[in-house]
Amino acid sequence: MRKFTQSLIAIIISLIFGALILWLMGKDPVSAYMDLLRGSGLMEKVKYSGRQNMFTDFMSFIDAMTPMIFASLAVALALKGGFFNIGVSGQMLFAGFCAHMAAMILPSKIAVVIVGFIAGALIGALIGWLKYRFNVNEVVSSIMLNSILMYLITFYINTFYINPVSRQSKSIISGARLTLSGFRWEGLKVDIAIAFPLAVVTALFLHWFIERTTYGYEIKASGLSPNAAYYAGMNVNRTALMTMTLSGALAGLAGVSYFCGYLAAIQPGVVPSMGFDAIAVSLLGGNNPVGCVLASFLITVISKGSVYMSSRQNIDMEIASLVTAFILTFAACSSFLGRRRK
Amino acid sequence: MADNIVEFRHITKRFPGIVANDDVSLSVKEGEIFAVLGENGAGKSTLVSMLFGMYEPDEGEIYVRGKLERINSPRYAGSLGIGMVHQHFRLVSNYTVAENIVLGLEPVRKIFGVIPFVDMKKANHDIAELSERYGLKVNPTDVIENLNVATRQRVEILKMLYREADILIFDEPTAVLTPQEIASFIDIVRGLREQGKTIILITHKLNEIKSVADRCAIMNRGKLVDVLDVKTSSTDDMARMMVGHDISFTTERKPARFGDVVLDVKNLTVKNAAGLDAVKNVSFKIHAGEVFAVAGVSGNGQNELADSIAGLVKVSGGTVTLSGHDITNATVREHITEGVAYIPEDRHNVGLVLDFTLRDNFPLRQYYTPKFSHKGVISESEFETYGEKLEEAYDIRSGQGGATITREMSGGNQQKAIIARELDMKTPLIIFMQPTRGLDAGAVMNIHRHIVDERDRGAAVLLISLDLDEILDCADTIGVIYGGSLNKISPASEITTDEIGLYMMGVKTA
Amino acid sequence: MLEMIIIDGLSFSLPLFIMAIGGIYSEKSGITNLALEGFQGFGAFTGAFATVYLYGIFGAESQVPYYAGFVCAVIGGGIFALLHALLCVKFKADQVISGVVMNILAMALTSFLTKRINESFFGNNANKFMLSASARITVPGLCDIPIIGAAFRDIYPFEIMILVVAIVMWYVMYRTVYGMRLRACGDNPHSADAAGINVYAVRTVAVLVSGCLSGIAGMSFAYSVSANFSPDIYLGYGYLSIAALIFGNWSILPALFACLMFGFARSMGAAAIHQLGLPSSYNDLVRTLPYVLTLLLLVFFGRSNRSPRALGQIYDKGQR
Repeated sequence: MRKFTQSLIAIIISLIFGALILWLMGKDPVSAYMDLLRGSGLMEKVKYSGRQNMFTDFMSFIDAMTPMIFASLAVALALKGGFFNIGVSGQMLFAGFCAHMAAMILPSKIAVVIVGFIAGALIGALIGWLKYRFNVNEVVSSIMLNSILMYLITFYINTFYINPVSRQSKSIISGARLTLSGFRWEGLKVDIAIAFPLAVVTALFLHWFIERTTYGYEIKASGLSPNAAYYAGMNVNRTALMTMTLSGALAGLAGVSYFCGYLAAIQPGVVPSMGFDAIAVSLLGGNNPVGCVLASFLITVISKGSVYMSSRQNIDMEIASLVTAFILTFAACSSFLGRRRK
Repeated sequence: MADNIVEFRHITKRFPGIVANDDVSLSVKEGEIFAVLGENGAGKSTLVSMLFGMYEPDEGEIYVRGKLERINSPRYAGSLGIGMVHQHFRLVSNYTVAENIVLGLEPVRKIFGVIPFVDMKKANHDIAELSERYGLKVNPTDVIENLNVATRQRVEILKMLYREADILIFDEPTAVLTPQEIASFIDIVRGLREQGKTIILITHKLNEIKSVADRCAIMNRGKLVDVLDVKTSSTDDMARMMVGHDISFTTERKPARFGDVVLDVKNLTVKNAAGLDAVKNVSFKIHAGEVFAVAGVSGNGQNELADSIAGLVKVSGGTVTLSGHDITNATVREHITEGVAYIPEDRHNVGLVLDFTLRDNFPLRQYYTPKFSHKGVISESEFETYGEKLEEAYDIRSGQGGATITREMSGGNQQKAIIARELDMKTPLIIFMQPTRGLDAGAVMNIHRHIVDERDRGAAVLLISLDLDEILDCADTIGVIYGGSLNKISPASEITTDEIGLYMMGVKTA
Repeated sequence: MLEMIIIDGLSFSLPLFIMAIGGIYSEKSGITNLALEGFQGFGAFTGAFATVYLYGIFGAESQVPYYAGFVCAVIGGGIFALLHALLCVKFKADQVISGVVMNILAMALTSFLTKRINESFFGNNANKFMLSASARITVPGLCDIPIIGAAFRDIYPFEIMILVVAIVMWYVMYRTVYGMRLRACGDNPHSADAAGINVYAVRTVAVLVSGCLSGIAGMSFAYSVSANFSPDIYLGYGYLSIAALIFGNWSILPALFACLMFGFARSMGAAAIHQLGLPSSYNDLVRTLPYVLTLLLLVFFGRSNRSPRALGQIYDKGQR
């Protein structure tokens, strides 16, 4: 409950901050914020272009939110077990890439999901293994792996898998894509994120897994107090490995729902920033799986809605990422706010 | 006749729940070695910490060199020429000896009179000179992490001398030293006295006091018992005064009825984290219905003894047998299932997951059993009813019942929670390690009641404590540990307090 | 050929090096610093803004905007770094989270401000500040020495600046009272406190220094990589310098070696790929090298590679 209040305070302060900036720019903050909601399909826009309405906007919004849910769940689970998975970006990229490759052989959505899950899990397991076998700090190994994977995948894409027009990777075959793009329904063109139900189910499952199973109990105990966990007869090393493997697997699902869903291609040369945003989103969600869904919802409203807001209000789209960054900064301080009250 | 350099007048210091110092008055003469002797928790560290400015007294006054002083920080104490070597050294491990000593007071020179730099040449030279002058052998350019404990201690002493302190306080200086190192430490202290320094020594080791101190204050339960002239007093007398005879409460108990042997420890040897033998060739047996208590001064291998029997650390020699099963070097979980309950010393970092709720802490060592979970799924309702049952049965009080975060509970209730959890497993063997440390009298009595009740139920109880009263209150059999060996094992009725004291201090060996 | 390797290698290694020194300052004082990426970006932003603004006053040919830009980059990086110090030292936030958030904030803030500033000051809507090409210096005489002469040819002025600053920073770290206290704070803040040192102040200054030095690095990259400031400045050089400082075992001279190795591996790889007629995408294979080497180093020599003992621990004076 305290965490919830902390997050709420961080959000409110940031929105006030953002409003202040908008006001200084001579804009009306209230209508700008309402445009965010309109852009996310949560409020009716003034007019829609053909085959679009509030529902299609909302479905696109869901499509954008899906990978963020998975990514923040990956961070949250790792943190429960006492790990910083700062390598979500690299795991996403690797999973997305492997799924692209797999889809060329076996163009199936299920294969994409499974391959993404396994690919992410492998990287997570590697980080966990390096930690307990060689005592390599997981933050450091994650940073190194992020860059290594990014360059290797960039090399492969640029060399063998490039779409020369878009300067991105080739697109995944639509039969394997996790987003049904431009699906015709009742005269509308809808983007349907097939992975979204999976994301919500995963979040609920993870909540149950952490709170109601002996594995979750072991993860939490090892994360909060390794000494007490050892005294309780738990296998602390095995638990650590399992935690990082599962965290990597969730990041893998984020990767496939991003690179083989929301996007159909991989942009070479960059580490997806979502992996870093997810750390802060998870923090905002109090490291609670359900909280992660809510925090992802909020952050996606801001990022997705900002396109519409910027065109309507004639303001820079960057204001959205700025407000997001404020929220995350205040969330990072929130442990201070919490400690103060005690 | 030497003047009093330090005087404590009617000092009283209270902490929540206890009076650490109760109207203590004593004075230290310039140029003497003054020892403060007492058991753990007798209030000796508190008293001296006030001289070093770590606490301020609630009542009473401290005079330094005849002047009333309000010492509110270690820094101010430093300016009065008071230095202290803490039990845990405060050294930068990757710095050299000289760097550590000059840190905060570095000699600075300037290139061309402009660009300042730390003159390590001068520092090394000064430290070498200082070390020579006081006979404290150190090499100024050695790096701390490569040095043994005794050398590090000399560095701490030099730190005080470099700051020109002339009242030197040592808190349990020999607790971490080997006998040979202790001998040379005693020489150092004598040398410092010859140089005109005043030395205050906090210790519970009688031999050292006898060999080095001029006078000795004896404290018991926060009160000053007496100040003795060491030359004219015997160690037996001192031990008797230190332990004291005023046992404030006793636990009612029936005569013990021993059953079969439950725990059989043979030639147990255990290494500590540093790789040295902390427990040496220890053998003993505990029967059903017996409280076997291990008395001893802290740091004589008690932790390793308890941890190894509970399965938390590996045994390097000997065997541990429980009800006929060899459990030597079995896993922690095997120890639990075989029937070893363990109340560990460190209830914050080991005994509890402090950020768990109280309810989640109860099944910590049994969560995987069918009682609490089925095929990996935790039974929420069982957690709940179990928690309620234990809270009720053991009178555990907390703000929000089972949902209370354990960290926010009082120390006494945290300990009750651990005891409830371990005792409720109804195991044949229960290990209590320092079960009442830091708890108030009511809680102590309650825990002693549990210990005796468990014995009467037919459990074998291993009680390891630094508190002699506790041992006398509960034990059927007493073993005394000194330097990792059990020096003496005797039925409680056949050994006197004085005798125990002598074995504890290593004055007598079996 | 060889000449290009040396020139390119140096112009990449040295900014990396000065940023790594910044990281060493912060981490040696006990504050984990994943925020170097953000510091260098924010420094480059303020520096580039100042430079472009001064073009309007002094003209693009003048040397004033160039040097004033670096000064502003130092100031900007430093001010931004104070935020990290505020979070880590005062608010006792988790240092890893704070670092990640600083990077996100720097990126968002500079992108936003670049556009706003371009609109209000320069009347365009670009998301970058265009810099004019940096002057290059050739040292007469020395540049004629065979092979190593190339190290004295076509030098960016910032390379000389970096060397001078690096020597000063080395001196401060290992020879002065402040440096000695800083390193003590990263190993055992309690002993530093016992010696009368204000641990909070030492750490705040250390993070400030890391921001200032990263500012120099960011500005240098803005010149050498793209001759402009744009969000493309966030290419992961901050993380590369973290790899370098870990590889250099948190010491300045070994970190220089690591940076030179990383830089020359990069320029040599590029030259070799060019020579072999391979597509430029093969450069990305070479770029994994620093990270792979650092990871292998940690795996095989993890014991001798030791981070400062108190790194990342929140220091609370009250707790003993």
